[in-house]
Amino acid sequence: MQPLKLDEESSSIQHKPQNCAISSGDNSVWADVSPLLSAACTDLHEGELINGDNFNLFAAMSALEIMDPKMDSGMVSTFYSIDEAVENGFAPVPVSADSTVDVQSTIDIMDHLLVCEATWHMGHSLAQTVFSCIYVLRPEMTSSQALLHSYCRVIRATCRAVVSVVSDARTNEEEDLFTMTYGLPFNEDEDAKGLLLLNAVEETICRQLRACKATSSKKRLMEDLEPLQTNPQLEESFCKALLCRIRFRKHFLHALNCMRRPQGRGLELARKHIAYCISELDSVLESAEFLRSDVVENGNTEIEESTTASGRSPIGFDPTLNKRLSAPTPPRAIKLLSWKKAIDYYVKLLHNLDQICVFPLEPDLDAVLQFVIRFQKSRPDLVARAHLQLLLVQDGKLYGCDTFLTICARALALDVTKHHGLHNNEYILQLNQLMINLLKILCANTPWQRRKLGKILNDWSVFNVQMGISVAHMMQQDTSRTSKNGDKSLLILNHIYGWLEEQINWVALRFLMLGFDLDLYSLSEYCMVYWYMYIILWKLAEKARFRVLIIVNTEERKAKRNKEYSRDMVREDRISLWVLFLQCQTCLAQGLTVMIAALRNEGMCLKSEGPFNTENEKFVQHFELLQKASLPEYDAYESFSESTSHARLDYLPVYEYFHDAQKIAKDIKVGYANDPDKLAEVRGLEQVAERNIVAVNLFCQDRSLKVSFEFTHHPYFATAVVRRS
Amino acid sequence: MDQDAERSTTIVASTSKESDSDPIARVRKLLFRQMLVGIKDGRFFLGNFHCLDKQGNIILQDTVEYRSIRRSSPSPTEQRCLGMILIPSSCRTSCHVDCSVEEQLSLIQLKE
Repeated sequence: MQPLKLDEESSSIQHKPQNCAISSGDNSVWADVSPLLSAACTDLHEGELINGDNFNLFAAMSALEIMDPKMDSGMVSTFYSIDEAVENGFAPVPVSADSTVDVQSTIDIMDHLLVCEATWHMGHSLAQTVFSCIYVLRPEMTSSQALLHSYCRVIRATCRAVVSVVSDARTNEEEDLFTMTYGLPFNEDEDAKGLLLLNAVEETICRQLRACKATSSKKRLMEDLEPLQTNPQLEESFCKALLCRIRFRKHFLHALNCMRRPQGRGLELARKHIAYCISELDSVLESAEFLRSDVVENGNTEIEESTTASGRSPIGFDPTLNKRLSAPTPPRAIKLLSWKKAIDYYVKLLHNLDQICVFPLEPDLDAVLQFVIRFQKSRPDLVARAHLQLLLVQDGKLYGCDTFLTICARALALDVTKHHGLHNNEYILQLNQLMINLLKILCANTPWQRRKLGKILNDWSVFNVQMGISVAHMMQQDTSRTSKNGDKSLLILNHIYGWLEEQINWVALRFLMLGFDLDLYSLSEYCMVYWYMYIILWKLAEKARFRVLIIVNTEERKAKRNKEYSRDMVREDRISLWVLFLQCQTCLAQGLTVMIAALRNEGMCLKSEGPFNTENEKFVQHFELLQKASLPEYDAYESFSESTSHARLDYLPVYEYFHDAQKIAKDIKVGYANDPDKLAEVRGLEQVAERNIVAVNLFCQDRSLKVSFEFTHHPYFATAVVRRS
Repeated sequence: MDQDAERSTTIVASTSKESDSDPIARVRKLLFRQMLVGIKDGRFFLGNFHCLDKQGNIILQDTVEYRSIRRSSPSPTEQRCLGMILIPSSCRTSCHVDCSVEEQLSLIQLKE
């Protein structure tokens, strides 16, 4: 091995390291080939390459281009390394020798770190955001500065907690940069001490604040306490600005840790911390006025875009230092959020976390599904969704308490505690897995959720068919025996099989409705979408009604036990209400299908044939996954075109679909009186029905009117709007 | 025997003569060999020589990047694997090939 030794006499165009550690092979040397290469280049013809047999132009296109800022993450920018940056005084300790400037700069660093953390939560790499701060990268450096040191340690501990939540939940498919921490210096033990230190710092600042507020007589008593900084006029405001920032950090980490306690045991405590966090954030916002006072005097107008409350740029941050750690993704220039936006983000996150904390953890599947959907309405971000998912599914059980068999059986008012054998039944194990997957998917972001729901529909329907065959088989064999010894396992399996179909249709409905959230349907496709929704809703309502019948029957048998009876009654009422709610939606979907089909057939509305795709092709594109899962079992397109081709405006007022929907909505409003969210939704449905009745009457009389559709009353059910052209 | 020996020497002679006159053929012989390329910002890339074009851009395969930790001491200490890379001629400052001592002598000889 002979290392590449470069002597001083080597030609000037060659940039070579002295005493280079890169060694050549055994018994060989590094020979300079630059002149040879340039000679070869001169001789080469335009477009000619020197390459071996294995060269593939397509593969070569994917080569990383060195020194291209969009591809080469290793480009050396200001500093070669963190060490070099520190040696050059890029991140001084203390930040400034003047204690007032030091406190000011520390606040700027805190603000910028908050912005970095929010930007990370929004999907950028940790290396380029929070770990662009040298004080965070090298906390040992600041050990003499308790404030900055403990704050950075707590930031690191928080990042660690968040990474662990998101990577455990694996809700980050789309945002997979998120959990990448390769090469980042996490030190769990040291970082855990940060919180203790931060508490001590908080206490000191509290005393300093008290000292500066106190009258001169008391001041003498506190003389041993040094003020935070030298300017007595600014002391109080600086203390306050620091305190709210520190407290936010403290409570935020506590809240995250409490939420991770098994079986949701820490949720109550977490709520308190969340409430503190929100109020501290208010104080942080208030402190901005004081912090930027001297900057405003300087005429700085870019405050809205700035990443700190004061508007100054912080000391000790270089996002290029760690750019290499963001590999394998190409290096991107990151646009950080503004400080204001970052605060908004935290407020939203905290409200979402609070929403999770107030969830009563009912062991009732219908309630869980309703809650997840309501939670998703505000489009929560990754961190909140990850927390919800971890709460719902723990150790393969709902909230870590009940198996999904128990939960499913409870949905049917069945008791499975006596049937231990069932828990190991192969179908029940599979069902457990399907339920876990479903809940996890429901916690994902909307586009991913829809894609995955479409895919699992197939798994569900295959499972449904298999289970159907074997349950029928078992029933035939075992009827006589089970009735004798009172083993109801088979009966329970049979009921669960029936319930499975309801669940499949529920997934299909969610899949269709998410298409509206994602703006996947065009005006010309509404007709087929509502037709499909009508088919699925109808089926779902039918299955749910069937479930009510099961509950009523089992109830009769259990009539002796009062407590359970009343609980089942509540459940029965709830499902009956749910059936009516579905029927109301079914009527609306049917009404909309017929109305749009009539408009289309009479040329008053866009036809679904564009220049590129036929209607059939569009139909397949939208509903292929449903059809693969045999939803419905017959040729859906044929059925759709047959049922809609004869719709005419003349007959429209005769159909009572919207009237029916309106009537049902009126009835169920009473039942939902205690549930404001549901009540609002039912009101929305009622209004959609009302408006559409009016619209139908109008455009049937005057066909020159222009009809358009709006989603002002309900996100999924359109309201026809009529205008004079 | 003698004839065989004569023939083999002539082959060697003719090939070496050919490559003397033709740098393209000589560069072609360097393909798949370990190549060490230095660039403007002080980094070095060690990889298998894969391709060269008219403009002098080089593609290396299975490359390892070497970089120094400080500007003041340019001894490369950090490394990472990059796979296939393209080094534009504009940022290339040096280029070396791994070869035996004899080969190096011949390369130098042929340079002049």
